Amino acid sequence: MTEEKTVVLGVIGADVHAVGNRILAYALAQAGFKVANIGVLATREEFINAALETDAAAIWVSSLYGHGELDCRGLRDQAAEAGLERILMYVGGNLVVGKQDWAGVEKRFKDMGFDRVYPPGTMPGRAIADLMRDLGLVNEVD
Amino acid sequence: MELKNQKWPADEFFSRRREVLAAWPTGREVDLDEAVAYHRRAGAGRSMAALLDQARTSGRTLAQPRAGVALLLDQIELLRYLAAEGEADCLPATIDSYTRQNRYAEAQAGIEESRAAGRSMLNGFPAVNYGVAACRRVVEAVDVPVQVRHGTPDARLLAEITLAGGFTSFEGGGISYNIPYAKDVPLEKSIADWQYVDRLAGWYLEHGVTINREFFGPLTGTLVPPGISHAVGVIEALLAAEQGVKNVTLGYGQCGNLIQDVAAMLTLPRLAEDYLERCGYRGVTVTTVLHQWMGGFPADESKAFGVIAWGAATAALAGADKVIVKTPHEAVGVPGKEANAAGIKATKQVLNMLRDQFMPPTPELTEEIAVIRAETTAIVDKTLDLGDGDVALGTVRAFKAGVIDVPFAPSRFNAGRLLPARDNRGAVRLLEPANLPFDRALLDFHRERLAERGRVENREPGFQMVIDDIYAIGKGMLVGRPR
Repeated sequence: MTEEKTVVLGVIGADVHAVGNRILAYALAQAGFKVANIGVLATREEFINAALETDAAAIWVSSLYGHGELDCRGLRDQAAEAGLERILMYVGGNLVVGKQDWAGVEKRFKDMGFDRVYPPGTMPGRAIADLMRDLGLVNEVD
Repeated sequence: MELKNQKWPADEFFSRRREVLAAWPTGREVDLDEAVAYHRRAGAGRSMAALLDQARTSGRTLAQPRAGVALLLDQIELLRYLAAEGEADCLPATIDSYTRQNRYAEAQAGIEESRAAGRSMLNGFPAVNYGVAACRRVVEAVDVPVQVRHGTPDARLLAEITLAGGFTSFEGGGISYNIPYAKDVPLEKSIADWQYVDRLAGWYLEHGVTINREFFGPLTGTLVPPGISHAVGVIEALLAAEQGVKNVTLGYGQCGNLIQDVAAMLTLPRLAEDYLERCGYRGVTVTTVLHQWMGGFPADESKAFGVIAWGAATAALAGADKVIVKTPHEAVGVPGKEANAAGIKATKQVLNMLRDQFMPPTPELTEEIAVIRAETTAIVDKTLDLGDGDVALGTVRAFKAGVIDVPFAPSRFNAGRLLPARDNRGAVRLLEPANLPFDRALLDFHRERLAERGRVENREPGFQMVIDDIYAIGKGMLVGRPR
């Protein structure tokens, strides 16, 4: 069933880190998902528009450069305004400037409306397994 | 104006300048004659060119960190700390990512939010927003030369403000600050915008102030084979020299195999000098910089120090004039000042210990040197051919044809068909050479080296091998072996 599900993938803000984006796209496709990859330098509007156009099940936001805190604010509200009230939103990467206590960072991003928040160095497989679970597709991976 | 590799006439440059300086209010602060007078008063102690010259003559390797924060006083404090506690030989202002995309209003918001939060919310120093006088406070805060480091496809205003602000070295180029740093900027535009920056540096030189121009060697920092980054560096040196630049530093990102890295650093200045000479540019001083490993780092700080020390050893043994230092916090992003100083100190310990040692010539080193020379020459010569001798035009056509192809670059003006992977000894080779203009012997060399690894690992070389290699150093290895 996963081939029915689309994930919008992108690197938010003024961030140009392209490598992880390419690997995530590959890993999601290998796991059977459709990937709407909007690439680097993606605006919040591009995430929402891509999700609307592809009827996506999830939005995956990457941020590697430290401005994630400034860039991600408002994404959940904008999604709701666009009629995407229930869309899953994950975020991961080097989300803030400096080495900060992870629990605090995770809470800040959960408060912004993200369903899952991943620390630096998370492997794609972990987030894909979470996505399977959140979408009720777990049995199909086993 | 049509793109050509030709020195900009003064009227063209000065008419373009008016538009550039009008893009943000601080542009009004730039007065070139006053800036020249300021640089002359500041003297050689602030000159990056003079420091590099000294390093080259005495055979030592300078250690330089990356460092940039949102607030002016914090930037000053950071540089002072890295000079005093970190013993940095030269310093940077690393520019934040909004400024790199010319988004000065967002940078301004980042400054305000950082003030309110009491911590830097930006990943660098927004020099354009602060303007000329504030830049001078930054460079005057320390006794060593300070460079502008960034990743800006259109850096014209940034260059105007920071050079007038007393910085004596400016990183970047029309290829190396576009292809890895943008997705939609045509090369015709970025090359022209960097001709402007080079012409500005040339103007300073003509008025007695040497600005060092450094090109960003690591590109995407992800398994870039030396032949490709060398070709880009040589081309950017030629483009800068045409605009009157006489002091250039070519860069290379450490790949991790010592023999390949030493060969890369030994060939880099020779190739640049050969091409500059061949294209008729005289009196250009060429120095080199090695970037410690630019890919993914281990999160464990002791392991990260291992990676840093290996980069320092490589820089010393390869005779790099300068090394750009990583920090033990690399895996989690922008470091604090203590972690930054720790990286410099670890590096300097190794540089000092290896100062009088060098790599002896061995058959392996000789072979690697020959391979890198052949690869770079093949790409640069084909690029010149494609431009009918004009390196600017040739570069645009070379990217279109995939004659230059940077792995994992975000730009849509890069073919993106090439795939690199490590061989069995960790040297970076070509798994998919795509359209690189290599002869049969070079292609066979790459294929055989990867086939050898495939036999050892009992798998066909493929994309999974590339992914394994990208994560390998972060997981404590060089070669991404199958689990």
